[in-house]
Amino acid sequence: MLETEQLTKKFKDTIAVDDVSLVLRQGESVGLLGPNGAGKSTAIAMISTLMKPSSGDVRLNGESVLKKPGDMRRVLGVVPQKIALYEELSAYENLKFFGRLYGLSGKKLEQRIDYVVELVGLADRKKELVKNYSGGMQRRINLAAAMMHEPEVLIMDEPTVGIDPQSRNHLLETIRKLNREEGMTVLYTSHYMEEVEKLCDRVYIMDHGKVIAEGTKEELKAILSDQETVLIDFDQNYPELFAKLSEIEGVQHAAAEEHSLKLIIPKGTRLLAALFHEAERYGAQVVNVNVQTPTLEDVFLRLTGRKLRD
Amino acid sequence: MKAVFLLQWRRFYRKPLLVLAMFGLTVIFVSVTAAGEQSGPQLIPVYADGSMSELQAQTWLERLNSEEQFQFELMPESEARSYVAEGDVSQAVNLLEADYRLLVGREDPARFALDSFLRRIYSEEMRLENAEQTTPGIRAEMESALSGPALTLSVESLQGADDSFQYNGQLQLLFGMTLFFVIYTIMFSLVRIVDEKRAGTWSRMIISPVRKWQVYLGHLGYSFLIGFSQITLIFLLFRFAFGFELGDRFWLLVAIAACYTFSIVALGLLIISLITKPQQLGAVIPIVATGMAMVGGAFWPIELVTNEILLAVSKVLPITYGLQALTSVAVYGNGLQAVAIPLLLLLGFGSICMAIAIRLMEWRSAS
Ligand SMILES: Nc1ncnc2c1ncn2[C@@H]1O[C@H](COP(=O)(O)OP(=O)(O)O)[C@@H](O)[C@H]1O
Ligand SMILES: [Mg+2]
Repeated sequence: MLETEQLTKKFKDTIAVDDVSLVLRQGESVGLLGPNGAGKSTAIAMISTLMKPSSGDVRLNGESVLKKPGDMRRVLGVVPQKIALYEELSAYENLKFFGRLYGLSGKKLEQRIDYVVELVGLADRKKELVKNYSGGMQRRINLAAAMMHEPEVLIMDEPTVGIDPQSRNHLLETIRKLNREEGMTVLYTSHYMEEVEKLCDRVYIMDHGKVIAEGTKEELKAILSDQETVLIDFDQNYPELFAKLSEIEGVQHAAAEEHSLKLIIPKGTRLLAALFHEAERYGAQVVNVNVQTPTLEDVFLRLTGRKLRD
Repeated sequence: MKAVFLLQWRRFYRKPLLVLAMFGLTVIFVSVTAAGEQSGPQLIPVYADGSMSELQAQTWLERLNSEEQFQFELMPESEARSYVAEGDVSQAVNLLEADYRLLVGREDPARFALDSFLRRIYSEEMRLENAEQTTPGIRAEMESALSGPALTLSVESLQGADDSFQYNGQLQLLFGMTLFFVIYTIMFSLVRIVDEKRAGTWSRMIISPVRKWQVYLGHLGYSFLIGFSQITLIFLLFRFAFGFELGDRFWLLVAIAACYTFSIVALGLLIISLITKPQQLGAVIPIVATGMAMVGGAFWPIELVTNEILLAVSKVLPITYGLQALTSVAVYGNGLQAVAIPLLLLLGFGSICMAIAIRLMEWRSAS
């Protein structure tokens, strides 16, 4: 229902978003994963009609939103990265205002406030001033404010940054419930692998403004796990043997370290027979063989040479 | 727009301190300082030295007291001098045969009014004297002619029926301080726009179905109303609780307040479109407010300023026209016609500032 087409945003000295094409289908939960500065927030700003793209397009049900942002504004709920609330007002007053922006009033408005504060588990504290809330509670109201107008699509920009574990779990549970039980379409942005893993059906990985990998969790895992890391421990150091093993067909990367050798090979490479055969010839004893499946973190590291988190 | 407007009042209700402080400061400042100012005719000691007979001096005194602007009192020189020396009065007049001298103890804005008054009376008197010498009896003739004029011509100007400068210390203080402090109230309420842009609540409003101009209008409407209410309430307070003479056209003072508020809201918007960092605004707003108030005549009457450059600068400041219009109505008793031009200038100034500000902001957010 919502897609971006070669979305690009250039600032004076950076290309924050570079040729990004995303698709969100009805009822789907999609993750947008990337380190700080990847361009996630900028992409969201363009999708939510806050910022005009340098080039490319954003479509809602096939229609460009650049000329006519009205429809998008009605169906979209955005949870901003920063806590965007009026601190000196109560949660209730904040929610009332954000509801009014969408034309809610009277009984309907009150009902909706009751629903969203219940949703985020702050029903009994809604009259308190936002500035007296903990960071986690502020984040929950930040989400509630975006839910006031019953959006069809909810976009969240790192909603769990700087939050206690309890609030974080509550928030993730809430989002999962909205997606699974209420069929809400969700775009979830984060630089936490586990969150995206837990919540999302499909994932886009962004770095330096570009989408560098995409797919369902299973597809991504397949892409990511088409390689294996094999760690072989020997009884002592055999430089010649190590050199020989590094040249076995299929080995992409080898690193010797004292008594052990680390090999990176495509998944399914038949290594063991050759390994034991060569070891036999050099009279070496294999102490331990360990095959590791790379994590998403590892893959990101391999794709970009950097870690996902600072 | 209504939602944005109402929200600002809710925020005011939760955090009223700044606005109340500006209101309170105006009231305290005016009421405390006004106690030292006189609103009625000022007492001016008059003395003559040996060059003038007692009778001559009395004649002069009657002539001077024939108009009610000042109250002159004849006394021996030593007594007048001691009054001035002790600071009971700011100045005394030394009458000479065809001239006068002012004995000044301390600077007082009223001195200029006094000087211009004396000069006018003396030159009239000198002319009559000359005429009397060539055509005896002309004085009596003229006096009877004046008491039954063939044609009554009334002249109205911004400064009042005649061109002399009238000084009313109380009202100068009230108008000056009110228009000065309200600049803070208005501009700091507009700073909320900058704060919202930084905090992200602005983005929330922009991505809602509410249009951007409606968001602006909600904010501007609030800033206008809070400033306008402050001025109006202060005028009401000083008129009814403190008994200040504000003339017969209170509605016109309120209309002037509205035009002035509009111009300051627009100027404030222009400032926040130029300077977007809240910390910098915290420094710039007081500079602008104080600078405008000084040059524009809020702290002392503009009539005392003689520096050409300052006078030229004052011509582009809204506070100058606001004060001019208020004084014209309350002190000189003029009507709408006399203040139409300053009011139009205020509205024009406001419109220009607002147009530039909106252009600047749109240009910035588009880039
Ligand atoms: N308004 C802006 N002006 C200039 N550069 C910007 C602006 N907003 C973001 N950037 C730059 O664009 C890049 C992407 O930023 P952002 O979208 O915030 O990344 P993320 O949300 O993934 O952390 C960063 O290098 C950032 O410095
Ligand atoms: Mg971000």
